[in-house]
Amino acid sequence: MSGVLTIARNELRHLARSRVALTGILLVALLSLTAALTSSAYQAEQAGLRERLQHTANEEFESQPDRHPHRVVHAGHFAVRPASGLAAMDPGVEAFTGNMIFLEGHRQNSANFGDARQSSLLVRFGQLAPALVLQVVAPLLLVFIGAGVIAGERERGTLRQALLAGASGPRLLVGKAMALGGAALIIAAPAAALLLWLSLSGPARGSAVLLSAGGYAVYLAFWVVLIVAVSALAGRSRSALIALVAIWSFGVLLVPRMAPEAAIAIDPLPTRVETDIAIQRDLRGLGDSHNPDDPYFAAFKRKTLAKYGVTKVEDLPLNYRGLLGMEGEKLTSSLFDRYADSAFGAMARQSTTMDALSALSPTIAIRRLSMTAAETDLAGYRRFMEQAEAYRYDLIQRLNLLQATAVTAADDAAKSSDAAAEARSRISAENWRKMPEFRPSRPTESAVLARAAPSFVVLATWLAAAALLAGFAAHRISRSAT
Amino acid sequence: MNDVLREARLFLRLRAALAAVLGLFLLAAAGTAAGLVEVARQNDAIRRIAPQQAADVQAISDWVSRDKDAGNAAYYTFHATWDPPSDLAFAALGLRDVAPYLLRVRALGLEAQLYEGDIGNPEASLPGRFDYAFVLVYLTPLFAILLFHDLLSGEREAGRLQSLEAAAGDARRLWAARVGVRVTALLLALALPFLAGAIIAGTAGWKAAAVLLLILGYIGFWTALCLVVARMTRSSVANAMTLAATWLVLTVIAPAVGHVAINTAVPLRQGMELSLHQRTAVHKAWDIPKAETMQAFFATHPEWAATAPVIQPFHWKWYFAFHQVGDQSVAGMSRDYRAGILKRAAWSERLGYGLPGVAVQLALHRLADTDPAAQIAYQDRIRAFHADLRRFYYPYLFNETPFGAADFDKAPAFRAKGDGGTLPAALFAGLLIVTLGTAVIGMQRSRRPRR
Repeated sequence: MSGVLTIARNELRHLARSRVALTGILLVALLSLTAALTSSAYQAEQAGLRERLQHTANEEFESQPDRHPHRVVHAGHFAVRPASGLAAMDPGVEAFTGNMIFLEGHRQNSANFGDARQSSLLVRFGQLAPALVLQVVAPLLLVFIGAGVIAGERERGTLRQALLAGASGPRLLVGKAMALGGAALIIAAPAAALLLWLSLSGPARGSAVLLSAGGYAVYLAFWVVLIVAVSALAGRSRSALIALVAIWSFGVLLVPRMAPEAAIAIDPLPTRVETDIAIQRDLRGLGDSHNPDDPYFAAFKRKTLAKYGVTKVEDLPLNYRGLLGMEGEKLTSSLFDRYADSAFGAMARQSTTMDALSALSPTIAIRRLSMTAAETDLAGYRRFMEQAEAYRYDLIQRLNLLQATAVTAADDAAKSSDAAAEARSRISAENWRKMPEFRPSRPTESAVLARAAPSFVVLATWLAAAALLAGFAAHRISRSAT
Repeated sequence: MNDVLREARLFLRLRAALAAVLGLFLLAAAGTAAGLVEVARQNDAIRRIAPQQAADVQAISDWVSRDKDAGNAAYYTFHATWDPPSDLAFAALGLRDVAPYLLRVRALGLEAQLYEGDIGNPEASLPGRFDYAFVLVYLTPLFAILLFHDLLSGEREAGRLQSLEAAAGDARRLWAARVGVRVTALLLALALPFLAGAIIAGTAGWKAAAVLLLILGYIGFWTALCLVVARMTRSSVANAMTLAATWLVLTVIAPAVGHVAINTAVPLRQGMELSLHQRTAVHKAWDIPKAETMQAFFATHPEWAATAPVIQPFHWKWYFAFHQVGDQSVAGMSRDYRAGILKRAAWSERLGYGLPGVAVQLALHRLADTDPAAQIAYQDRIRAFHADLRRFYYPYLFNETPFGAADFDKAPAFRAKGDGGTLPAALFAGLLIVTLGTAVIGMQRSRRPRR
């Protein structure tokens, strides 16, 4: 054990003395710090902005004057996507989703004003956050400073000396890996501090922080072990460096980019325009509210009359238009749900395809784990969209019910031509203040952990594979000494 | 000439270098193919819309033409717009996966419709698409580094440098030939797949030529940079490290820092705020005297000021007038929002004058018409089309003209513009200046190579 520590200490001293390596480590640590600071400032600003907007939207909704409930159905409401607590660590898909959705009757709108759409093309180079530094930059830096850890010694002839002096292959590799791991710790320290701060200051759950930290630790450990193994197997530093940069380009740059192409080819998504048209077509198939003789709505009328034991809608104790509105909304919403489920289902399958490619690239696995822990993944977005739709449906039905109960059928019928009836059809502004506010809930802790667990297993498998390679390399070095 | 032939023969014997060039060729071909597939998918989606849209309008016409109420026609009929991919979009897909290329609008308030998004998987957009632009901007420099990092140091480390230069007589010609052969190999690996794609996509000649210039300029920059580094440092390993670190700074770190800086310097709250304002402005019409709304409408549409005043609690012309007034009330915010997006793009272009990777990325997307400016241009065309729609429906509404089945066919049809894309001369100039500057530094060093 002491031999291992000596090797690690010597290697660290060597790294500290090599100006290039030291500068590299310090610069990347600085970048990591900058990323942590700017990213948390940006996310905090975003969170504040969205909270203010939701607040304004709530105020505007509640301060509507006396109105006909159906006017309020059309005036609608807004749901703003709250920022995730861990987005500062990994903004994930935050920039690529809409953040604000207009909720109204009869329609399901898209979430709009995503960052990517209103940013310059620079957004495509990646967003400066600790996640980018740890997933992309840190491995490359470790490759630079680590490619020569053993190959360099072999070139200089010091490897043979060390082996003759009694150091074994495994000890040598473990010691070198420890030194390189030390460099990784320095780079990751600002990100770790950010994680800690996020959990102490409130928004992040302890389990998510641990999961994220654990995932990155395994990911960086994979790179460290791989680098030491390749350096031990390579004849020269240069070939180790080229092989490692090639592995890095393939795993970090290439596969994550090719994954969406494969996913989209297997599960294409419908366009929104086609979906809208299809929903209208299906709706007409179910029941055409514009057709007075429509069988579906005729049946609904019969059923309603029978329920209240009357023969004419005028005799109903409730305003039939409100009931009709509720029935219509039920129909459209069932279609919205069906089409949204199908689209989100296709997206989830796309994401599964992309995740499967983590067999070729550990970066895909850490990205999944990190986004999931940060609640900035597709599931987080889908959750928001579904909660917004559920809220929309509930709000609209409450308003329709108000139309059925608080507006008389006679006033409702005459409101477009009779000013007095129009005035009576307006109900008290009190009602708007009684409506519930949009309060989306976060996914449960166990749901997040369950979604992230497979990627953790994938990462651990990558680490195990690298360790096997390192074991083989260590064995070969030991043998070469005898 | 003999030098070049000799170097070409030597190069063909280097298995690693050949493999690298072949690898780049395959990646460029894959990027081109992926782009062509995506463009075909988008064109296909656009083609699919027309019949579906016609059936949708027909269904509305079926019930509207019963009582011929123009208000119902204007309210319920959606009109399709589309933004076909340009002849170069296959090479740089750009924003087309996050901004819609299909949008239906109706004659109601436009500001509530213009920013609608399409269905997309954000997890697929996050890493960016695998297109030609990605291969060129990100991967090509790594291949250039692979080919050039040991140009001198490799020979020196093998102990051949002095004898090689002595045998060649003119060392400069030797290195010029060696560099020339490698640059040509890279150029062919990149240009051939692109040209094949351009022929399939029917890219305009000048655009293809501009892209070839970009490819040449970008390879030129990285070659010059490799030469600078080759002369500055000692070992091949140190060269490779320095170059890859430079690549990391130029293509990952600097653009990411620039992105944060630009988005912080040019905040864009107007989008979300204008949505709130527009909604409130539109619906407050129900709570104020109708004359007030109509006055605001007539201020911009005096041609209808002489029509009968709205006295009944509801009239379609008043309904559409307050939607128009709602749009007018947020016109300033809408302009600011539009200007903000363009301002962010303009700042990123300034960054491109100094960063070749950014310059190539932006120039390629400008040529391909897939950048934020292209999105804004599509929105502007939707605005113009929407104004046409209003002009079409208003006479029916204000003159209370019946709207029959035949009138549906008279509605203005959206006309997509032809292949967009312009030549971003400033970015080309920036790339050229940075490349020449780097080359001059490289040349100066090369006069006194360190041994």
